[in-house]
Amino acid sequence: MQKHPLILTAACIFMLAAACPIAASAAATESPAPQAGTVVQVRGVVLDNSGQPVIGAGVVEVGTSSNGTLTGNDGSFSLTVKKGSSLEISCIGYETITVKPVEGERLTVYLNEDTEVLDEVVVMGYGTQRKKLVTGSTVNVTGEKLAAVNAVDAFGALQSQAAGVTIVQNSGQPGESYKMTIRGMGTAGSTTPLYVVDGVPGGDIAALSPNDIESIDVLKDAASSAIYGARAANGVVLVTTKKGKAGKIRVTFDGYYGWQNPNTNGVTPLNAKQYMEINDLAYETQGASKYDWAALIPKQYAQIQAGTWNGTNWLEETTVHNAPIHNESINILGGSDVSRFAIGFSNFGQTGTLGYPATPQFDRKTFRMNSDYSLIRKNGRDILKFGENITFTMNNRHGLSIGGIYDNNIRTLLAMSPLLPAYNDEGGWYEYKDIQADKWDFSAEMANPLAQIYYTRKNRYNKGYRLQSNFFLEFVPIKGLTFRSSAGWQYYHGESRNYVPVYELSTKTSNPLDDVTQSQSYSTRWSWENTVNWVKSFGNHNIDLLIGMSLEKWGYGNSLRVTNSKSLFPDSFDHAYISNTKEINPSFTSVSGSPSEEGGLSSIFGRLNYNWNETYLLSLVLRRDGSSNFGTGFRVGYFPSISAGWVITNEPFMASVNKDFLSFLKLRASWGQNGNCEIGTFQYLATVSLEAPYYFNDKNTPSIGAYPDILPNPEITWETSEQTDFGFDARFFRSRLGLSFDWYNKMTKDWLVVAPIPLSYGTGAPYINGGDIRNRGYEILLTWDDMVNRDFSYGISATFSHNKNVVTRIANGEGILHGPENAIAQNTAELYRVEVGYPIGYFWGYEMEGIIQDEADLQDYLARNCSGDPANSLQGASIQPGDVKFVDVNGNGKVDKDTSDKTMIGDPNPDYTVGLTFHMEYKGFDFSMNGYGSFGQQVAKSYRQFSDHPDDNYCTDVYTKYWTPEHPNNRYPRFTHGKHVNQSELSRVWIEDADFFKISRISLGYDLKRAMSFLPLAKCRVYVSAQNMFTFTKYSGMDPEVGFGNNTTWASGIDNGYYPSSNSWQVGVNITF
Amino acid sequence: MKKNILYLIAASLCLLFLSGCDKFLDTQSYTKKNDGNFPVNETDAYQMVTGIYAMMNMNLADPEEDPFFVFDIASDDRLGGGSQSNIGAQGVDRLMNAYLSWMEPLWQCRYAGIYRANYALENIDRIEKWSNDTNKNQLLCEIYFFRAWYYFNLAQIFNGVPMPLKTEPENLPRSSADEVYAQIASDLKKSIEFGPSLRYPKFGDGHVSKWTAEGMMARVWLFYTGFYGKSELPLAEGGSISKAQVVTWLEDCINNSGYGLVSDQRNLWPYTNPYTAPDYPYAKDNKLEWVTDENIENMFAVKMGNKGDYAGGYGGQIHHNRIVEFYNLRKTTEAAFPFSVQGYSNGPVCEKLWTDWAADPDYEGDYRRVGSICDRLVEIPDYIGDTKKEVENTDLFAKKYAGVEAWNEDHSSRYLSYGYYYGSENNRQKGLTQSLVWLRFADVLLMHSELTDGKVIYNGKSGLNAVRQRANLPDISYSLAALKKERRYELCFEAIRWNDLRRWGDVSEIVKNQEGNVIKNEAATGVYKFTVDFMQRYNETQGGFFKIPESQISQTEGVLEQNPGWGDGTNWTKGDLPYKFK
Repeated sequence: MQKHPLILTAACIFMLAAACPIAASAAATESPAPQAGTVVQVRGVVLDNSGQPVIGAGVVEVGTSSNGTLTGNDGSFSLTVKKGSSLEISCIGYETITVKPVEGERLTVYLNEDTEVLDEVVVMGYGTQRKKLVTGSTVNVTGEKLAAVNAVDAFGALQSQAAGVTIVQNSGQPGESYKMTIRGMGTAGSTTPLYVVDGVPGGDIAALSPNDIESIDVLKDAASSAIYGARAANGVVLVTTKKGKAGKIRVTFDGYYGWQNPNTNGVTPLNAKQYMEINDLAYETQGASKYDWAALIPKQYAQIQAGTWNGTNWLEETTVHNAPIHNESINILGGSDVSRFAIGFSNFGQTGTLGYPATPQFDRKTFRMNSDYSLIRKNGRDILKFGENITFTMNNRHGLSIGGIYDNNIRTLLAMSPLLPAYNDEGGWYEYKDIQADKWDFSAEMANPLAQIYYTRKNRYNKGYRLQSNFFLEFVPIKGLTFRSSAGWQYYHGESRNYVPVYELSTKTSNPLDDVTQSQSYSTRWSWENTVNWVKSFGNHNIDLLIGMSLEKWGYGNSLRVTNSKSLFPDSFDHAYISNTKEINPSFTSVSGSPSEEGGLSSIFGRLNYNWNETYLLSLVLRRDGSSNFGTGFRVGYFPSISAGWVITNEPFMASVNKDFLSFLKLRASWGQNGNCEIGTFQYLATVSLEAPYYFNDKNTPSIGAYPDILPNPEITWETSEQTDFGFDARFFRSRLGLSFDWYNKMTKDWLVVAPIPLSYGTGAPYINGGDIRNRGYEILLTWDDMVNRDFSYGISATFSHNKNVVTRIANGEGILHGPENAIAQNTAELYRVEVGYPIGYFWGYEMEGIIQDEADLQDYLARNCSGDPANSLQGASIQPGDVKFVDVNGNGKVDKDTSDKTMIGDPNPDYTVGLTFHMEYKGFDFSMNGYGSFGQQVAKSYRQFSDHPDDNYCTDVYTKYWTPEHPNNRYPRFTHGKHVNQSELSRVWIEDADFFKISRISLGYDLKRAMSFLPLAKCRVYVSAQNMFTFTKYSGMDPEVGFGNNTTWASGIDNGYYPSSNSWQVGVNITF
Repeated sequence: MKKNILYLIAASLCLLFLSGCDKFLDTQSYTKKNDGNFPVNETDAYQMVTGIYAMMNMNLADPEEDPFFVFDIASDDRLGGGSQSNIGAQGVDRLMNAYLSWMEPLWQCRYAGIYRANYALENIDRIEKWSNDTNKNQLLCEIYFFRAWYYFNLAQIFNGVPMPLKTEPENLPRSSADEVYAQIASDLKKSIEFGPSLRYPKFGDGHVSKWTAEGMMARVWLFYTGFYGKSELPLAEGGSISKAQVVTWLEDCINNSGYGLVSDQRNLWPYTNPYTAPDYPYAKDNKLEWVTDENIENMFAVKMGNKGDYAGGYGGQIHHNRIVEFYNLRKTTEAAFPFSVQGYSNGPVCEKLWTDWAADPDYEGDYRRVGSICDRLVEIPDYIGDTKKEVENTDLFAKKYAGVEAWNEDHSSRYLSYGYYYGSENNRQKGLTQSLVWLRFADVLLMHSELTDGKVIYNGKSGLNAVRQRANLPDISYSLAALKKERRYELCFEAIRWNDLRRWGDVSEIVKNQEGNVIKNEAATGVYKFTVDFMQRYNETQGGFFKIPESQISQTEGVLEQNPGWGDGTNWTKGDLPYKFK
């Protein structure tokens, strides 16, 4: 782990200025007059291991107590010393060294960071703490590590670096959000952790450029996050942006450019000939006549037979090769002892690798300014300080429609028949007129998906503007007592516009009237926090007491959306504004406008950190929260926590243990309760909706209808997460080997859920406090850092975590929350559910033993599962080789058609996750590698709609994985046309293990400054990196990392045709001026 | 030290004071009302009642599970049809299980309607100021009608059902059929009694009225007494409704409602609309003129709107007629004009209806035969259909609920629906805005004849002969057999037949109409047959009652009991159609 540079530097300056009498006096007074001829002037520079100047280091002539100086802003110093004497160079946070200057040579001194002297500092809620005193379970990732992986945003950067934190992107489409879960899914509702940016809760961390982030701290256990009480049940993520430092102005530029390609994992749709062959085969097995291809597609059939056309490979057609990705960031940091600032500007752009001709695009520009000013300063100490952090982000994105089984462009591209041409002879889209002209009559379901993407997705943008800011005042009347008042304000503005022209691709796929849509929305939130912090030592008793209050309110804003048709400028996106549509008609005009959902939170909290001689550590937290989401009397919740630690290596009895072997050992234990209040508003109130129009006679004019839309639950209140954590942190071998271990047991009680109620109750079910879930697991973090010599250093970090998730209570009749039907294909039953005794969102269906290979195998199967009678099989009398062996799980001698033989056939939640990073530096060269993996989870996959679209295309794995009499196989059943029990009864056929390990980055860099010292730069690193280039998996789909959960908060691992991640080659520079 | 502690205490007190105010957390909804401020005036009352109507549309998001579709397809005159994936329709046709939680949308929407009616009854008296009593009584008439109507749907499909009569949630077991019908009768009686005697359309276009309640009472009475073998219909408050009472109400309706028969029955159906008819020789040659969806004959219909969407359930938005979409042919091609709106080919017409009708001397020259059924091979011979998807195709297509296209002004292209001319989208789905008619005046006349053995009542004729006269058929003397035939032909494809057969006890005889029907499955010729004998299923289900959604059985912790006949082994549709598909 890296140190926290801001704190480090600040501490350096402060300590040396105030507490280091040698250096201070040396700086303040003239050296005694040296004797001529016996003195020399020594000049030099003090640098840290990364080549950065160490500001304010003390340089003292050995043997004297008063001859010394401090290094300047560039790390340089000059001192007159006696000839032949040595210099002792020291700075807080570094190992003190003694060097002997060589006469006439400019001295370059490297200081090693000293982990013993000043421990890493981590950010906690409303403050910071030295890591060695932390009693909870947290992960700290520094900005350098985040920026080093060239991720799009903080989520991507964290992916391989935090044990116990699972981060999965919802899809690989540029600009897509991530799903982050800490220590397993703790609720059926929202599992999003609370994001706190520079102390302001409720921020958006995807809106920040990784280059602007100083550090991210993930608070995992209840004790660490309890200070955020009501919203901390899913954990807390604290983001600190870069702050200025006193000293020389430092300008850095970071930029890269990359070429991306999709990770399709070898998935290839069938070409025309293969497609016809498989379709004939499927039809033939039904005993029906083959397709008369020559009659159905006369023109194309001739071309295919002649070998002049292979059919359309829609996946290839839509692929964008070498799609660009780039980022440019400039950061300027600087300041004096009375004011400090940090300014950053970033420009990021990413093009999607699939989606031509409406190629997805995501652009983000961020501007950030942080500064602070000393208003009153006395004796080198800030009495009153003011500061602010402001980030402004602009996003612009557009892309494909992805998601479920309908209106999913990727699925359509994978499943569309290759027999349909993409382009007509004139080079235009192959449309309905061409279908008619060519007498193409294969299927009415088929429509040119490229043209559809072009017409429906090309002309659109979604822009977002987000301002996140906070302003603080800090008053330190006496040393150790700090009052802080902080006001945060956020503003979000979203804007979108799109245009869909008139088109006709088939009889079913057409748009007879163009559509113009314009929408705008904005929302704001503010927060105000006041804290008082008192730090005091009484002998060996150290106390750190914090008391605070916080008020938050959000939802001031509204949204407006208008859709209309008949643009006066047909086919022009530039003119697609509502003012250019003049006709108002209820059949195509739609207008909506509504306020943003309002809410508020009012809280007080306190924390006491106590330690005795940094050996016995204790932390107590209590927060009281009131939330507007609940009715009067049920609003307030109390969230306590207690944690303790014992630094064993400080004990006298450990003195005999060799410090070089075991340099540090701390045991930790914590317990606490947190809350979750993420539900819709007004669940406690019997609201009446006015959204029930009825058209009595005039078909254009609705009569307003009203109805009570919810059975209110006036007693709805907090969901509580109770967590116990035991762990230890240890360092071995002169601190080079670090080992942390945590075991946790997280019980979420009374989770907030809309549990189905009997439909005879007649209206919507409210949220109830309706279930419990347990997550239990452990996490191991192992690090090794070694500097072999000044030229060569390397380090490895490995994280390993295990989580087991089980639902222990659901408060409705059957103890089940059902998933929807038709999740992976039409006419399929419920695929996933939440049920007591099982992991959340587990896959539910028939167990299968494989495929019936031959007649003997059939009889064997029937004997074991169906009492020997085909009538007892799911397939019935027609069961034959090639069919699925559905298992009689309950052993009643038949495969039941109701639910009694259905069981757990998969679990989308990983059992184990690992992260691995390796880095190495040698004489200006650096090499690094990051990887992460998940194991034990399953994915449900189908790219075909076998029931209502029997003509959907297959992929080339049909030749190796589908059973045919000639090529028996155990993976997929025989080909059948249309709906068949083998497919429509969901079984393990559709479930696959999705274990994977991805090498997310390999990078090789070199600092040109090392070779070309004449460069007017402090650093000029150039590098090349391979991102996401290697995935190790047996999964057959495009990407094993499937975040999609069919829009159900608690579901995941549904591969319906998933926008895959991309790999890229990148080149970049890091320049420090 | 002391100073520090003082600082701390002072600061803490400040902080507590700042966050102590609970008012800070009060929020209010700016887009919804709540039971504190709703309903307070007459406008609110209308909105409350409109909300009850709206639930009928929401069921159309899942047309295979709408009562109209169920009653229509379950009868002998239509098959399930569609493609292999339309197992909902095929399940209805065969009384076999299609999905685990089959009929859930129906269950949900009907109970939602009942909940809204209960809410309205509990709250209507909170409104103190009415512009006049008639308005309030008309609304009470509508609320009671709908509670009865929604329960009647449930009772015909599921038999006795849980019967909440207030909004307070309660996990109730099933009431007996007698109890449910007694409540239906009581509510309809109240509806009739509250309803002002305003002639159509004075009480409001598209609204139900006293007259609708009178007609519906007759349907309930006939079904209950016929199916359950009773002589009277009980009332929840005690007592019962006699046949004579029903006849009195029907005569009140026939004489005083302002409803009547339109001149030509075919004019009720959209293929006669003025934008399609000029290009449709059948309509043009017969000088047919659509009377639109709002006319003197339609007494109760689910009305559609031009604003289309697809979401069902609570708060859903769907205002087009998806049953029509499911019945439509599968391909949009000029060869199928005017029935060239693309759909899913559900509900092919059974050959037996077509041939019986032609063979019956009492119906010689009945224009309603070709007016109701399109013989594809004759009317649209060039239409091939979607031979790779259509199953159970009989080449007979029902015209009453069918999307029709229309040519544009210069005859250069076709609009996907005539509805476009009336302001809908030019869309094969959302353009289908034909009302779904649940009660016609012709039905009222026929029920009157059935209850009075053909008493003269309308224009000097019995109801039976009045309806025949409109079809240009000569008078016929009353017999139950004649009445049954008349109901079959006049009301075909109107969700009437199935329950008529059930109450007459004719299912066992009539079901033979389907078996052996020549059909085409994905172009392969075969004959229609049942996987499991239909009468076996009919008897197992105690008279054609459907499966209570499985989810509701498990959700109520066993309080709700499943209907007989719906256990293991009824899931034929999870396999395949019984013909060529192995």
